[in-house]
Amino acid sequence: MKLSHETIVQSGPYSEVSIEGFDKETVLKLYEFMVRLRRCEKALMQEYHPADEIRCPVHFTVGQESVSAGLSQILKESDYMFSHHRLHGYFLAKKAPMRALFAEMYGRETGANGGKAGSQDISMSSVNFFGGAIVAGTVGIAVGTAMGLKIKGSSSIAVTGFGEGAADEGAFWEAVNYAVLSRLPVLFVCENNLYATFSPQHKRQARDNLSARVGAFGVETHSIFGNDATAVYDTLAYAAEKVRSGKGPIFIEAYTYRWNGHVGPEGDDDVGYRPAAELKYWKQNCPIHLLEKKMYEAGLITDEILDVMLEKIDAEIADAFAFAKSSPFPDVEDWERMNYSPDESLADRLLLDAKPVDFDQYQEFAIPKPY
Amino acid sequence: MRELTFAESINEALFQVMDLSNEVLVLGQLVDYQPGVFGTTTGLFEKFGKERVRDFPVSESAMTSAAIGASLVGLRPVLVHQRLDFMMYSLDAIVNWLSLWRFKSNGESGAPVTIRAVVGKGWGQGPQHSKSLHSWFAHLPGLRVAVPATAYDVKGLLMESILGEDPAIIIENRSLFSMKTHVPEDPYRVRFGQACIFGKGTDLSIICIGVMVPVALRVAAMLVEKDIRAQVVDLRSLSPLDKERICESVAQTRRFVVLDPGWEAFGASGEIISVVCEELAGELEANPLRVCLPNSHTPMSSALEAMYYPTEDTVLQRILEWLNIN
Repeated sequence: MKLSHETIVQSGPYSEVSIEGFDKETVLKLYEFMVRLRRCEKALMQEYHPADEIRCPVHFTVGQESVSAGLSQILKESDYMFSHHRLHGYFLAKKAPMRALFAEMYGRETGANGGKAGSQDISMSSVNFFGGAIVAGTVGIAVGTAMGLKIKGSSSIAVTGFGEGAADEGAFWEAVNYAVLSRLPVLFVCENNLYATFSPQHKRQARDNLSARVGAFGVETHSIFGNDATAVYDTLAYAAEKVRSGKGPIFIEAYTYRWNGHVGPEGDDDVGYRPAAELKYWKQNCPIHLLEKKMYEAGLITDEILDVMLEKIDAEIADAFAFAKSSPFPDVEDWERMNYSPDESLADRLLLDAKPVDFDQYQEFAIPKPY
Repeated sequence: MRELTFAESINEALFQVMDLSNEVLVLGQLVDYQPGVFGTTTGLFEKFGKERVRDFPVSESAMTSAAIGASLVGLRPVLVHQRLDFMMYSLDAIVNWLSLWRFKSNGESGAPVTIRAVVGKGWGQGPQHSKSLHSWFAHLPGLRVAVPATAYDVKGLLMESILGEDPAIIIENRSLFSMKTHVPEDPYRVRFGQACIFGKGTDLSIICIGVMVPVALRVAAMLVEKDIRAQVVDLRSLSPLDKERICESVAQTRRFVVLDPGWEAFGASGEIISVVCEELAGELEANPLRVCLPNSHTPMSSALEAMYYPTEDTVLQRILEWLNIN
């Protein structure tokens, strides 16, 4: 049976999560990452109004924690992670500091981008993380980084995270084609959460077979239930390894679902774009609860262990808030200069300065030839 | 003195910069074939190979995004668009990513991508093979925009942009490709934001862009016969704009005309006039004049082309009328 949003809900409660065969440490780390991410998102949502000190659009990840959890365990420091706007999970997966994320959302000088980017456009070059809010925009960039990594003979890979909406864009398919054509070390990670804001996939795409369509370009694809954290991790680990070995790009489509509205702490269910039963299904098949159940059964986690974990997480979140709120706002001296580089060192080193020459203006203008 | 054509000069610039830095790539449709985009990329593939000289698919958007991505790992891609009109597919990559990459990263990350865009003119290129759009690109923060007129300038500006850290668009008008100047063999730079001035006449400043430079120089010579002595300001780049030299020139002459190979409305000519008037409006002896393309797309028929594009005769006519009125 082909996996799709329809068949997933139809097949009832998900019961296939397994922690057997997985290293205990890894399972704990996956779990802790998801819990940390969710608590971080919930704290931000709680704090957002009425304080209104976070003054930018924020696209929360609640419900979609397992893909970034998996990535957090397989991404190397030297790998590049690209993302769209729903990026908190990917940012943390790259081990970027929570403080830098919060301060950026608070528009402070100490934010990852000094208050220039905000949540949806955040980047952190020191950990090779780059996000941006124009859908499908970073997919082509990731492909280019993969091209560059291959040219340099690097064993690092480029990973690009996006939603199924990115496949509405032509630029997405251009990027996929080039990745296959040049056999590039890029891992495409699609979190198919069914909705582009209010609009469901079947209203926008002629066929619900994204993996098959990508596969038709010559990419190896994997379509998985995205709330099964160990299965997601397993697939990502396999795929990253294979991409790293130079066998070309791989595409993973992880079916998942966001609990909250498209943007902001405010819900948007009053728009009536999605069935209550659908949301209920996905909440009941939450990636954290599914894994947690197995971990309790196996004695891998207890209430005590969880309490310690939560204390640590909550302390980190509180610290991030305190840091953000107490950080200064940025100032501007020269608006134009912020858009250009002050560095001319390479040209300084390699090029002589020009001296004026004469020009004979009576030469013939060229008549265009075809090539 | 050694002379090269505009096209040969671009070719030499690319050879030299690819020798100077292993990080330079050339991407574009048909760049690896012998015709080499009007002779500008001929021979590069044979010397530098398929990793560095890539015949890219007809996917301008992905090509531009890929260039950004490659620059993040230290490469310096040069993109070649055989016709500027084709690069419209890549506007999102340019506007939403390339131009603002440095800004949004708070200066921590740059994208040193150079885009070469060739502007068609004549022989019935028509509305979809003739656009220049230098004004659009100059309006966008974060890009450097050059409109070189001479073989000498194009090599210098191209090397400067490829070895510089900012994204740059070099707009090359095809009509100039066979024109020669002396071109030094050594790698050299023409800096952005540096206009150059031909002549020392103090009656009139002719401020011109790209393909209008030879026209301006011809007009200046014709004006001498009418006892009007002009100095010709070749802007060479629009972003940054050499406001200082423009104003210096007009401060001397008190009269200026702008020749812009773009549409009149909302274009570079308006910006230049504004830049001058903000400083010198009270000192001008005549209202500014501009001669641009009419606010119309470009026709194909040679009869219409002849009416569409300003020539030295039509520009001279406009200037003489203007001076008599004033």
